Amino acid sequence: MQSVVELEAPAGEDSGPVSVSKKKLGRPRRYYKGKTPYVFLLPYLVLTSIFFVYPFIRAIALAFYQTNGPRTKVFVGLDNFRFLLNDAIFHTALWNTIVFTCCSIFLQLPLALGLAMLLNSGQSKLENRLKGFFRLILFSPNLVGSIFVGVLFGVLLTPRYGLINRTLHGLVGWGLEKHWIETPALVMPALVLTSLWLYVGFNMVYFLAALQSVDKELEQAARIDGANPWQVFWNVTLPSIRHVVIFVVILSTVGSFNLFELPLAMLNRTNGFGPDNTGLTVITYLNEIAYRSGDLGLGSAVGWIVALLIMSCSFVQFRVSKVSDD
Amino acid sequence: MLDRFPYGKAPLVLLVIAVLSSVAFAATRSSERPADIVIATFASNHYQAYKDALPKFEQQHGVTVEVQQVDFQSLESRLQSAIVANTEVPDLAEISEGTLGFFTRGPEKDFGFMDLTDLVKRDGLDHRVVEARYAPWTVRGRVYALPHDVHPVMMAYRRDLVEELGIDVSKIETWADFVAMGRKITKDIDGDGTIDRFALDLPKNGQWGIQILLRQHGIDFFDAEGNVAFNTPQAVETFLWYLHETRSPERMSYEAGWGPNYTKALSDGLILFTMLPDWRSGSLEVDAPKLKGKMGLMPLPAWEKGGRRTSTWGMTGLTISKTTKHPELAWELAKYLYYSKEDLGTRFLANNIIPPLKEAWDLPAFHTKNAYYSGQQLGLEYARLAPQVPPLFASPIYKTAAAKVDEALARCAIYYDESGETGLREKVEAELDRAEAYLKKWSDRFAVLANKE
Repeated sequence: MQSVVELEAPAGEDSGPVSVSKKKLGRPRRYYKGKTPYVFLLPYLVLTSIFFVYPFIRAIALAFYQTNGPRTKVFVGLDNFRFLLNDAIFHTALWNTIVFTCCSIFLQLPLALGLAMLLNSGQSKLENRLKGFFRLILFSPNLVGSIFVGVLFGVLLTPRYGLINRTLHGLVGWGLEKHWIETPALVMPALVLTSLWLYVGFNMVYFLAALQSVDKELEQAARIDGANPWQVFWNVTLPSIRHVVIFVVILSTVGSFNLFELPLAMLNRTNGFGPDNTGLTVITYLNEIAYRSGDLGLGSAVGWIVALLIMSCSFVQFRVSKVSDD
Repeated sequence: MLDRFPYGKAPLVLLVIAVLSSVAFAATRSSERPADIVIATFASNHYQAYKDALPKFEQQHGVTVEVQQVDFQSLESRLQSAIVANTEVPDLAEISEGTLGFFTRGPEKDFGFMDLTDLVKRDGLDHRVVEARYAPWTVRGRVYALPHDVHPVMMAYRRDLVEELGIDVSKIETWADFVAMGRKITKDIDGDGTIDRFALDLPKNGQWGIQILLRQHGIDFFDAEGNVAFNTPQAVETFLWYLHETRSPERMSYEAGWGPNYTKALSDGLILFTMLPDWRSGSLEVDAPKLKGKMGLMPLPAWEKGGRRTSTWGMTGLTISKTTKHPELAWELAKYLYYSKEDLGTRFLANNIIPPLKEAWDLPAFHTKNAYYSGQQLGLEYARLAPQVPPLFASPIYKTAAAKVDEALARCAIYYDESGETGLREKVEAELDRAEAYLKKWSDRFAVLANKE
């Protein structure tokens, strides 16, 4: 059943009455009959239409063409998708991206959450000051561009002269001559290591904000009832911050699928992206295809596959979140 | 008054900011007359050389010329975007190795560059310039860029240390001789388990190293017709040699990398020999000034006695836009910058780059003794090898081919690290077949576009 309530328009408006429709058990919707809100929205709508909606629709069509810029294109039907499904390099790029995404979710996020919990503990004045200091330290890598970080780690991971190689050699007697960026088995660890440095602090800030809103009395009650720290975390803290966790997981998944600058900056000395394409991601592959080889049609097809993958992952994560809510 | 503005204060403030910034933008726009001709380059040393040379040309022709320096990758992508979108492009633009194919992958009507074939012939440049250097700038039998350089590769070495070790470089004629010498001098000098001295700088995963050696063998990725050309028995031999010399326990090479790492490895004596094209000989003088007088140059060892003693690494070509309003003037400028003999000597002394104009090699500048390279006549040494430089050929997938060859080598390297010699030759052959098949698939895709008129 639906009811409509008529409200008076704001003073000075030449618009008619404001309609508010309410759906039973639904969110009320407001339709303003005056033109003012739409005038304000117009610049956004125009720009979005020109720079997002139109290219978005064109990209759908482009995926079915082989192109040489706007002047020459040949309709190839589903050939671009067929090419990708049979392209071993695309498969490698996809696999690398999935591995990197898994590392982000299962390594980076627990680490970020752990750091957030450490920074969330302790209440003395000194501890609070130190918290601020460490928060800044851990977040600061994010203030630096990822291209710069890629170049920096490329230098740090240099065989014989690199700081990381020399430190590892000094500490555990291993790694002085390791060519991280030239050894297939070490390329992905190098990328993950760099991304940890770059993004752990960023995700930590989200978790920290969420942890600060957890009901302390609930945690206290659980402890009084005999729950150990793990049980408190698992049964009280984590469920309390689950919405932020889901948000960060989705953000990290999307970010990992869009990984581009780090491999570009770190692996640019190699032809391709690391030996045997061990550092190739779907977006670097897209860049190679669309801009280095100039095949925008095939590039669009890659873009669509990536978009569908991201949407599917996000959908699954939303569903999981909804099930846990229910 | 602010409150009477129809939508309140905030939109009024935004409106004022927008108006003010538009006025400021309009007021600060340069009122200078745009240059008659614009030339874009990606190399800083070219930029400076052209800046120095242009006033004379401007005076002679009564025109203004603007030279722009753009990052190498940006130049390539922006130029291509501008060409396909029919927007403003520089009248002349320098492009680098392996990129012409990228600009000429579609039908000829889409090419953004002027066909220079007839002009080259008209002015006799086809005979005056090293012929092999036109090949990379030729597509479907037509020339689309003028070659800037020859870039022969020599072997540079730490003369002081090599002499201390009693090595006579004049006796090293073949790679077999070099490897025999290299194995002897590659050593853990202080006995700490880490090798402190290697003979040669070679990247483990191919890149420029495998390309130089394949080219020395006369193998490029493609032939003049655009067919894949690297899958040959000689390429198999080169791969096997490379794998042994970069990965076996008795290898004599080390990957020194780039920039400070490279110069430090050379300065520390970690590597004693390095393959050095003419352009890199100039950079080394700047990057490692302490090595002045300690370096020497020799031709590359040949693959077999009496064989080719050089290879090539890198190249630049000068294109003229099809849309230029002054095609004749642009052609004159191109010739002036690249082939005016009187300026090439001075330019060589500034950057060590051998021009492809053969008659310029007789200039005194090319006979000057270079103190950095122990008084050797650097110009003469490189120029002697220039006619032997192998031709390279354009393809829309040149860079993809470079990546595929490296990928093939990397896969063979993984196999070699795990399984050693057993079945290595078969693995190399299989990987080269695989790389060739992949590139053929790409070539077929581009053939569809190239044939569409």
